[in-house]
Amino acid sequence: MCNCDECEQWMQPYMDRVLTDAERAEAEAHLDDCAYCRKRYHFEVHLRQFVRQSVDEPIPAELLHKLAGLRTPLE
Amino acid sequence: MSETTREPDARRLATDARDRVRFEEDALALSDQVYRVARHLVGSREEAEDLMQETYARAFRSWRSFQPGTNLRAWLLRILTNLNIDRGRKLQRTPDQQPLEEGDYFLYNKLEETGDGLSDEDRVVQRLSQQDVVQALSEVPHDFRDVIVLVDLGDFSYADAAQILDIPIGTVMSRLHRGRRILKKAMAESAVGSAR
Repeated sequence: MCNCDECEQWMQPYMDRVLTDAERAEAEAHLDDCAYCRKRYHFEVHLRQFVRQSVDEPIPAELLHKLAGLRTPLE
Repeated sequence: MSETTREPDARRLATDARDRVRFEEDALALSDQVYRVARHLVGSREEAEDLMQETYARAFRSWRSFQPGTNLRAWLLRILTNLNIDRGRKLQRTPDQQPLEEGDYFLYNKLEETGDGLSDEDRVVQRLSQQDVVQALSEVPHDFRDVIVLVDLGDFSYADAAQILDIPIGTVMSRLHRGRRILKKAMAESAVGSAR
Protein backbone atom coordinates (compact mmCIF):
# COMPACT_ATOMS: atom_id res chain seq x y z
CA MET A 1 0.00 0.00 0.00
CA CYS A 2 1.20 3.49 -0.67
CA ASN A 3 1.10 6.91 0.80
CA CYS A 4 -1.72 8.17 -1.36
CA ASP A 5 -1.56 11.77 -0.24
CA GLU A 6 1.80 11.81 -1.90
CA CYS A 7 0.46 10.22 -5.08
CA GLU A 8 -2.19 12.87 -5.37
CA GLN A 9 0.53 15.46 -5.33
CA TRP A 10 2.49 14.09 -8.26
CA MET A 11 -0.32 12.63 -10.35
CA GLN A 12 -1.26 15.83 -12.16
CA PRO A 13 2.34 17.06 -12.70
CA TYR A 14 3.17 13.56 -13.94
CA MET A 15 0.37 13.73 -16.48
CA ASP A 16 1.49 17.21 -17.50
CA ARG A 17 5.03 15.86 -18.02
CA VAL A 18 6.62 18.48 -15.85
CA LEU A 19 8.38 16.21 -13.34
CA THR A 20 12.15 15.92 -13.42
CA ASP A 21 13.55 12.66 -14.77
CA ALA A 22 14.24 11.41 -11.26
CA GLU A 23 10.74 12.26 -10.05
CA ARG A 24 9.21 10.64 -13.07
CA ALA A 25 11.14 7.45 -12.56
CA GLU A 26 9.99 7.39 -8.96
CA ALA A 27 6.38 7.99 -10.01
CA GLU A 28 6.53 5.21 -12.59
CA ALA A 29 8.08 2.76 -10.17
CA HIS A 30 5.28 3.57 -7.80
CA LEU A 31 2.60 3.15 -10.47
CA ASP A 32 4.03 -0.29 -11.26
CA ASP A 33 3.72 -1.30 -7.64
CA CYS A 34 0.47 0.22 -6.53
CA ALA A 35 -2.83 -0.89 -8.04
CA TYR A 36 -4.73 1.77 -6.13
CA CYS A 37 -2.86 4.59 -7.85
CA ARG A 38 -2.65 2.81 -11.18
CA LYS A 39 -6.42 2.59 -11.41
CA ARG A 40 -6.74 6.25 -10.61
CA TYR A 41 -4.03 7.17 -13.05
CA HIS A 42 -5.77 5.40 -15.93
CA PHE A 43 -8.99 7.02 -14.90
CA GLU A 44 -7.45 10.49 -14.87
CA VAL A 45 -5.93 10.02 -18.32
CA HIS A 46 -9.25 8.83 -19.67
CA LEU A 47 -11.13 11.63 -17.93
CA ARG A 48 -8.95 14.33 -19.44
CA GLN A 49 -9.53 12.92 -22.88
CA PHE A 50 -13.26 12.68 -22.21
CA VAL A 51 -13.45 16.32 -21.09
CA ARG A 52 -11.54 17.43 -24.15
CA GLN A 53 -13.81 15.59 -26.54
CA SER A 54 -16.96 16.67 -24.74
CA VAL A 55 -16.28 20.38 -24.96
CA ASP A 56 -14.64 20.41 -28.37
CA GLU A 57 -16.36 22.74 -30.77
CA PRO A 58 -14.94 23.55 -34.20
CA ILE A 59 -15.06 27.03 -35.66
CA PRO A 60 -18.37 27.77 -37.45
CA ALA A 61 -17.86 28.07 -41.21
CA GLU A 62 -19.57 31.42 -41.24
CA LEU A 63 -17.13 32.84 -38.70
CA LEU A 64 -14.18 31.57 -40.68
CA HIS A 65 -15.59 33.37 -43.68
CA LYS A 66 -15.99 36.60 -41.69
CA LEU A 67 -12.40 36.39 -40.44
CA ALA A 68 -11.10 35.92 -43.98
CA GLY A 69 -13.08 39.04 -44.90
CA LEU A 70 -11.04 41.06 -42.39
CA ARG A 71 -7.86 40.56 -44.41
CA THR A 72 -6.15 43.54 -45.94
CA PRO A 73 -7.34 43.91 -49.54
CA LEU A 74 -4.62 43.28 -52.09
CA GLU A 75 -3.56 46.36 -54.02
CA MET B 1 19.37 57.03 -62.15
CA SER B 2 16.00 57.62 -60.62
CA GLU B 3 15.09 54.01 -61.30
CA THR B 4 17.93 52.72 -59.18
CA THR B 5 16.84 54.87 -56.21
CA ARG B 6 13.21 53.82 -56.54
CA GLU B 7 13.91 50.17 -56.97
CA PRO B 8 14.87 49.33 -53.39
CA ASP B 9 11.74 51.11 -52.24
CA ALA B 10 9.56 49.07 -54.55
CA ARG B 11 11.30 45.91 -53.48
CA ARG B 12 10.79 46.75 -49.83
CA LEU B 13 7.09 47.33 -50.44
CA ALA B 14 6.77 44.06 -52.29
CA THR B 15 8.52 42.19 -49.47
CA ASP B 16 6.32 43.92 -46.95
CA ALA B 17 3.16 42.95 -48.81
CA ARG B 18 4.34 39.39 -49.14
CA ASP B 19 5.13 39.15 -45.41
CA ARG B 20 1.72 40.53 -44.59
CA VAL B 21 -0.08 38.08 -46.84
CA ARG B 22 1.91 35.25 -45.31
CA PHE B 23 1.09 36.46 -41.80
CA GLU B 24 -2.62 36.70 -42.57
CA GLU B 25 -2.67 33.24 -44.07
CA ASP B 26 -0.83 31.75 -41.10
CA ALA B 27 -3.18 33.48 -38.66
CA LEU B 28 -6.27 32.28 -40.52
CA ALA B 29 -4.95 28.74 -40.68
CA LEU B 30 -4.84 28.79 -36.87
CA SER B 31 -8.31 30.26 -36.43
CA ASP B 32 -9.97 26.91 -35.79
CA GLN B 33 -7.48 26.09 -33.03
CA VAL B 34 -7.82 29.58 -31.56
CA TYR B 35 -11.61 29.33 -31.63
CA ARG B 36 -11.66 25.98 -29.82
CA VAL B 37 -9.89 27.67 -26.92
CA ALA B 38 -11.70 31.00 -27.16
CA ARG B 39 -15.08 29.30 -27.09
CA HIS B 40 -14.51 28.24 -23.47
CA LEU B 41 -12.82 31.41 -22.25
CA VAL B 42 -16.19 33.14 -22.59
CA GLY B 43 -19.72 32.15 -21.71
CA SER B 44 -21.44 31.93 -25.07
CA ARG B 45 -20.82 31.17 -28.71
CA GLU B 46 -21.90 34.70 -29.67
CA GLU B 47 -19.31 36.23 -27.34
CA ALA B 48 -16.64 33.90 -28.70
CA GLU B 49 -17.48 34.88 -32.27
CA ASP B 50 -17.38 38.61 -31.49
CA LEU B 51 -14.11 38.24 -29.68
CA MET B 52 -12.58 36.26 -32.53
CA GLN B 53 -13.50 38.99 -35.00
CA GLU B 54 -12.07 41.73 -32.79
CA THR B 55 -8.94 39.67 -32.28
CA TYR B 56 -8.35 39.05 -35.96
CA ALA B 57 -9.10 42.67 -36.87
CA ARG B 58 -6.49 43.79 -34.35
CA ALA B 59 -3.99 41.11 -35.35
CA PHE B 60 -4.21 42.08 -39.02
CA ARG B 61 -3.71 45.75 -38.08
CA SER B 62 -0.72 45.14 -35.85
CA TRP B 63 0.87 42.22 -37.65
CA ARG B 64 4.25 43.96 -37.61
CA SER B 65 4.52 43.58 -33.87
CA PHE B 66 4.49 39.78 -34.22
CA GLN B 67 7.99 38.36 -34.10
CA PRO B 68 8.34 35.72 -36.80
CA GLY B 69 9.49 32.41 -35.40
CA THR B 70 7.62 32.83 -32.11
CA ASN B 71 4.35 31.11 -31.25
CA LEU B 72 1.63 32.74 -33.37
CA ARG B 73 -1.22 30.84 -31.73
CA ALA B 74 -0.09 32.12 -28.31
CA TRP B 75 0.27 35.64 -29.72
CA LEU B 76 -3.30 35.57 -31.05
CA LEU B 77 -4.65 34.26 -27.77
CA ARG B 78 -2.78 36.93 -25.86
CA ILE B 79 -4.62 39.57 -27.93
CA LEU B 80 -7.89 37.73 -27.42
CA THR B 81 -7.41 37.49 -23.67
CA ASN B 82 -6.57 41.19 -23.40
CA LEU B 83 -9.62 42.13 -25.45
CA ASN B 84 -11.73 39.90 -23.26
CA ILE B 85 -10.49 41.71 -20.16
CA ASP B 86 -11.05 45.09 -21.84
CA ARG B 87 -14.62 44.06 -22.52
CA GLY B 88 -15.20 44.26 -18.82
CA ARG B 89 -14.62 40.78 -17.63
CA LYS B 90 -12.52 42.26 -14.82
CA LEU B 91 -15.76 43.66 -13.48
CA GLN B 92 -17.29 40.27 -12.91
CA ARG B 93 -15.45 39.79 -9.69
CA THR B 94 -14.47 36.32 -8.74
CA PRO B 95 -16.83 35.53 -5.90
CA ASP B 96 -15.25 36.13 -2.48
CA GLN B 97 -16.16 32.67 -1.51
CA GLN B 98 -14.24 30.30 -3.73
CA PRO B 99 -16.00 27.04 -4.42
CA LEU B 100 -15.05 24.30 -2.05
CA GLU B 101 -12.87 21.77 -3.68
CA GLU B 102 -12.20 18.14 -3.01
CA GLY B 103 -9.11 16.04 -3.59
CA ASP B 104 -7.89 14.96 -7.00
CA TYR B 105 -9.45 11.53 -6.61
CA PHE B 106 -12.86 12.84 -5.57
CA LEU B 107 -14.63 12.07 -8.84
CA TYR B 108 -13.10 8.62 -9.09
CA ASN B 109 -14.04 7.74 -5.54
CA LYS B 110 -17.56 9.11 -5.95
CA LEU B 111 -18.14 7.04 -9.05
CA GLU B 112 -16.62 3.98 -7.48
CA GLU B 113 -19.07 4.26 -4.59
CA THR B 114 -21.95 3.70 -6.95
CA GLY B 115 -20.72 0.09 -7.25
CA ASP B 116 -22.50 -0.55 -10.51
CA GLY B 117 -20.12 -3.16 -11.89
CA LEU B 118 -19.00 -0.94 -14.76
CA SER B 119 -15.36 -0.31 -15.58
CA ASP B 120 -13.90 2.95 -14.32
CA GLU B 121 -13.82 4.41 -17.79
CA ASP B 122 -17.35 3.35 -18.71
CA ARG B 123 -18.74 4.95 -15.59
CA VAL B 124 -17.69 8.40 -16.73
CA VAL B 125 -19.25 8.06 -20.15
CA GLN B 126 -22.33 6.43 -18.69
CA ARG B 127 -22.94 9.05 -16.03
CA LEU B 128 -21.95 12.25 -17.76
CA SER B 129 -23.36 13.64 -20.97
CA GLN B 130 -21.37 15.96 -23.17
CA GLN B 131 -23.63 18.77 -22.00
CA ASP B 132 -22.88 17.96 -18.33
CA VAL B 133 -19.18 18.45 -19.01
CA VAL B 134 -19.70 21.71 -20.90
CA GLN B 135 -21.87 22.91 -18.03
CA ALA B 136 -19.38 21.83 -15.37
CA LEU B 137 -16.55 23.66 -17.15
CA SER B 138 -18.59 26.82 -17.48
CA GLU B 139 -19.23 26.74 -13.73
CA VAL B 140 -15.53 26.90 -12.90
CA PRO B 141 -14.69 30.53 -11.93
CA HIS B 142 -12.93 32.19 -14.84
CA ASP B 143 -9.51 32.64 -13.24
CA PHE B 144 -9.30 28.89 -12.86
CA ARG B 145 -11.11 28.08 -16.06
CA ASP B 146 -8.71 30.15 -18.18
CA VAL B 147 -5.72 28.01 -17.24
CA ILE B 148 -7.63 24.74 -17.69
CA VAL B 149 -8.79 25.86 -21.11
CA LEU B 150 -5.31 26.94 -22.23
CA VAL B 151 -3.38 23.96 -20.85
CA ASP B 152 -5.83 21.06 -21.02
CA LEU B 153 -7.78 22.02 -24.13
CA GLY B 154 -5.30 24.25 -25.93
CA ASP B 155 -2.19 22.19 -25.12
CA PHE B 156 -0.22 25.25 -24.10
CA SER B 157 2.75 24.85 -21.79
CA TYR B 158 2.62 26.41 -18.33
CA ALA B 159 5.05 29.06 -19.61
CA ASP B 160 2.89 29.95 -22.61
CA ALA B 161 -0.23 30.10 -20.45
CA ALA B 162 1.61 32.39 -18.03
CA GLN B 163 2.55 34.70 -20.87
CA ILE B 164 -0.90 34.72 -22.44
CA LEU B 165 -2.61 35.52 -19.14
CA ASP B 166 0.21 37.76 -17.90
CA ILE B 167 0.49 35.94 -14.59
CA PRO B 168 3.47 34.18 -12.95
CA ILE B 169 4.04 30.54 -13.84
CA GLY B 170 3.54 29.53 -10.21
CA THR B 171 0.06 31.05 -10.37
CA VAL B 172 -0.67 29.01 -13.51
CA MET B 173 0.30 25.87 -11.63
CA SER B 174 -1.72 26.60 -8.53
CA ARG B 175 -4.80 27.68 -10.50
CA LEU B 176 -4.56 24.61 -12.68
CA HIS B 177 -4.31 22.38 -9.65
CA ARG B 178 -7.31 23.94 -7.94
CA GLY B 179 -9.26 24.45 -11.15
CA ARG B 180 -9.10 20.79 -12.09
CA ARG B 181 -10.35 19.85 -8.64
CA ILE B 182 -13.22 22.33 -8.91
CA LEU B 183 -14.10 20.93 -12.32
CA LYS B 184 -14.03 17.35 -11.07
CA LYS B 185 -16.22 18.24 -8.13
CA ALA B 186 -18.76 19.84 -10.46
CA MET B 187 -18.70 16.74 -12.66
CA ALA B 188 -19.06 14.46 -9.65
CA GLU B 189 -22.14 16.34 -8.51
CA SER B 190 -23.61 16.01 -11.96
CA ALA B 191 -22.68 12.34 -12.32
CA VAL B 192 -23.82 11.13 -8.94
CA GLY B 193 -26.86 13.40 -8.98
CA SER B 194 -28.05 11.92 -12.26
CA ALA B 195 -27.45 8.38 -10.99
CA ARG B 196 -30.37 8.59 -8.58
